[in-house]
Amino acid sequence: MMSASHPDTDTAPVLELREVSVAFTSGAGAKRRTVRAMNAVTLEVAPGETLGLVGESGSGKTTTASVALGLKRPDSGEVLLLGEPFTRSRRANAGKLQAVLQHPHWSLNPRRKVGESVREPLTVARRDLSRSEQRQRVTEMLEQVGLNPAFAERYPHELSGGQRQRVSVARALVTEPRFIVFDEAVSALDVAVQMQILALIRELQAEHRFGALFISHDLGAVERVADRVAVLFRGDLVETASTEEFFRNPQHPYSQTLLEAL
Amino acid sequence: MTTYSLPLSKRKRAVKTRPPRDALFIAAACALGLIVLVAVAAAVIPFAGDPARIVGPRLSPPSAAYPFGTDALGRSVLARLLEGTRTTLVLSTLAVVCTAVISVILGLVAGYAGGWAREVIMRLSDVLYSFPSIVLAILIAAVVGPGQAAVLSSIVLVTVPLMTRMVSAAAMSVAKRDFVTTAKISGVSAPVILFRHLLPNVSGTIAVQGTYALSVGILVEGGLSFLGYGVQPPRSSLGLLIQEGGSYMLQAPWLLFAPAAVLVVAILSINLIGDTMRDRLDPRETRSLV
Ligand SMILES: Nc1ncnc2c1ncn2[C@@H]1O[C@H](COP(=O)(O)OP(=O)(O)OP(=O)(O)O)[C@@H](O)[C@H]1O
Ligand SMILES: [Mg+2]
Repeated sequence: MMSASHPDTDTAPVLELREVSVAFTSGAGAKRRTVRAMNAVTLEVAPGETLGLVGESGSGKTTTASVALGLKRPDSGEVLLLGEPFTRSRRANAGKLQAVLQHPHWSLNPRRKVGESVREPLTVARRDLSRSEQRQRVTEMLEQVGLNPAFAERYPHELSGGQRQRVSVARALVTEPRFIVFDEAVSALDVAVQMQILALIRELQAEHRFGALFISHDLGAVERVADRVAVLFRGDLVETASTEEFFRNPQHPYSQTLLEAL
Repeated sequence: MTTYSLPLSKRKRAVKTRPPRDALFIAAACALGLIVLVAVAAAVIPFAGDPARIVGPRLSPPSAAYPFGTDALGRSVLARLLEGTRTTLVLSTLAVVCTAVISVILGLVAGYAGGWAREVIMRLSDVLYSFPSIVLAILIAAVVGPGQAAVLSSIVLVTVPLMTRMVSAAAMSVAKRDFVTTAKISGVSAPVILFRHLLPNVSGTIAVQGTYALSVGILVEGGLSFLGYGVQPPRSSLGLLIQEGGSYMLQAPWLLFAPAAVLVVAILSINLIGDTMRDRLDPRETRSLV
């Protein structure tokens, strides 16, 4: 479903990948190998929508995330954030996109107070706010993700994995971004905490209407949050379908194997 | 996953309860502290007399009048030892501060930027590292001329490669962590990421490498002054005193003994302090690396 023009900013995709390819070359001489991590991948994420991206380990999910976040330049193809290609300076997009990444232990700087970590995106994107206004915003955000604002004064090692991941969600949302990538954001958490975080993401999305790319190898989590599902298989996007349709009637043989393994 | 979140305070306590290592550490810290304190105090209150004045007969053995004996010119060995220790400590410390500044900048940039910046920095330090330190020091003395400047620049060039390498390795592992990636995505600039996220997380490495560099610095000063390229008489330094003492080893062994003992004790205690610091930091660093 390619969309060249959306007149309405409410429905224009927040993120579009068009025919994006990425290959990694490693080794030298006879051992030189090329891994095609993404082959002409085309996908889009609409405002307020969650696109679930699934596939086995090494299928190119994290590579897709890096491309979508502007961290990796594709070898070919186009990446459009809010209809614009990425510029060289990341500051131009500051606050418009954010990410919640895999590891709750690595997601926060152990030497900084939690409040400072949550405030960091504001120091770039919201220079118009004074420090105390930014702190006020951090407090509101912590409350929204269900944490006592007193957590702002704590260090990450004083938090549980689930609490840290809530902090990461608060950090990602504090600038009211249009697009958020969740890369295995709940995979390291136990099931009960996973459920809470997934519910939280859903709830916040209904309120803030950000578009989300939700990456997981856990189909259960994807079923819970995604509106649509895209399946990556060795760098190829083999199927895109609405979540309901995908879980009821997967088209591609690889999707069928994935679901059978569930 | 839960093992990750063992509170820091508990880990520290777990390490602290190993008594033998702790006793050694305290002994080392006291020994080093005493050396520094006495050497510095002597500059403020010259209780051991003027190191340049001839106070008695030549080569007289330790006695009540001359606690550490006198040297070949009849100067007080104690006064010269205190001055020499101070010179050596000041030169090495100054040099290590320079090394730390240079290595931290180079190491953080290499670790964060990667690519050709890292290649260039690593190759350059490999070249420096491949010279035996004393050869490098003599080369530098030949260029800048014998004296304190030669000692300073030698220590810096000898210690920069290793410290740069260690800081860069530590920075590289920190740079891979998610909080650096999310900072980048948020548009935080590279200098701010280096200063805010990398520096505080490699500070342990900097401290440990700094202590090792200090002991290497003391050795380089010793070697260079011993060979006559370092601190020049009538000033004194540990290296110079050892060289002077060496020529009278049979007639006046106290000349050699005192500075050699200070050198050995200083280096041993600094290394011990460094080892203890490394052991205490490691559990945290490996924990974050898993
Ligand atoms: N920097 C890199 N250099 C070389 N190869 C890479 C690099 N990054 C990824 N790859 C390769 O590209 C392929 C896709 O990797 P990617 O990390 O996108 O997979 P993934 O779907 O996220 O896997 P996982 O579920 O294990 O996280 C893999 O074969 C991987 O080995
Ligand atoms: Mg991945």
